[in-house]
Amino acid sequence: MHTMVLKRSVLLVDDESSILQTLRLVFEREGYEVATAQSSAEAIGLLDQSGHFDAVVTDLNMEREDVGLEVARAALKSQPKPAVVICTGFASMANSRAALDMGVDYMAHKPVELKDLIAALNRLISRYRDIGPFK
Amino acid sequence: MTAKTTSGKMPRMALLVHVDMGILSSLQSALAERGFTTIVARDLPTALLAITQHHFDVAIVSSQLLEAGDGWPLAGVLHLVFPKAVVSVMAPSEPDVLTLQAAINYGVREVYEQAKPAKEVVGSIVATLENSSFSSGSNRSIIQ
Repeated sequence: MHTMVLKRSVLLVDDESSILQTLRLVFEREGYEVATAQSSAEAIGLLDQSGHFDAVVTDLNMEREDVGLEVARAALKSQPKPAVVICTGFASMANSRAALDMGVDYMAHKPVELKDLIAALNRLISRYRDIGPFK
Repeated sequence: MTAKTTSGKMPRMALLVHVDMGILSSLQSALAERGFTTIVARDLPTALLAITQHHFDVAIVSSQLLEAGDGWPLAGVLHLVFPKAVVSVMAPSEPDVLTLQAAINYGVREVYEQAKPAKEVVGSIVATLENSSFSSGSNRSIIQ
C-alpha cells in the first residue's frame, strides 16, 4: 500500500538574497517545495500566475517601506488561502496593526528564530489542511 | 440541559476570563443586553473546564490571570478549539508592538485596553461577529 504525502510549498519573499538563500536551504531541508521572490512585484506576480502555495513568508521593507503588506494582502486573497507570515526587523505600531487587521497568521521579528518559524508554519499548514482557513 | 431562545435558536455563548469581579460583572451585563449567555471564569482551571463543556461564539480573556502575559496562551487555545469564535484579549494598557505581535501569533481578533467601557467592547465584538458571519475572510481589528 502506498501512502501519498503532499509536499508542502512555500513562497519566500525577501530583497536580501543571502536571507532568501538561507531560508531556501532551511525550508528545503524541512521537506518544503520552495519558490522565491526578491521583490513584492515578483511575489504578487507569482501568486497571480503560479496558483497555490501552502504558505507565504514575506519581508516587510523591500522596494519601499511596508510593501510586504501588499504581498500579504495578495496572499490572503488567494484561494485556497495560504498561511501568511511576515518577518520584519522594522515592526511598528502601524504595520503591526495593519497585519493584525488583515488577518496575517504569524509575525516574526528579525532576527528570526528559525525553529519557532518552522514550528509555526508546520502548525498553520497542518491546521489549514485539516479544517481550512480559520480566520 | 441545553438552553434555547424562544425563537428556537441556540443562544450565543460567551466566555469571560478575568480576575477582576468588577470587569467581569460589567462585561457580563453588556453581553446579556446583546443576548449572550455568559460563562465566567476567574482562573485557568475554571476556564479550561468551561471550554470542555460549552461551545463559545465569543471569548474575552485578560492578558494577565496569575502573572503578566499568561492569558495569551489561553486565548490561543480558545482560537484553536473554537476557530470561528471572536477571541479578544483585555490588556492593562494601550497595546504596543509586542502586544499586537502576540495578538497575531495567538490568533486573537481584537485587543482592548482594560479601561475601555464594557458596552463599547461588547458592541465592537458583536460587530466583528456579525461581519464574520457574512464573510469568510478575516475581520480582525484592533481597538484601543
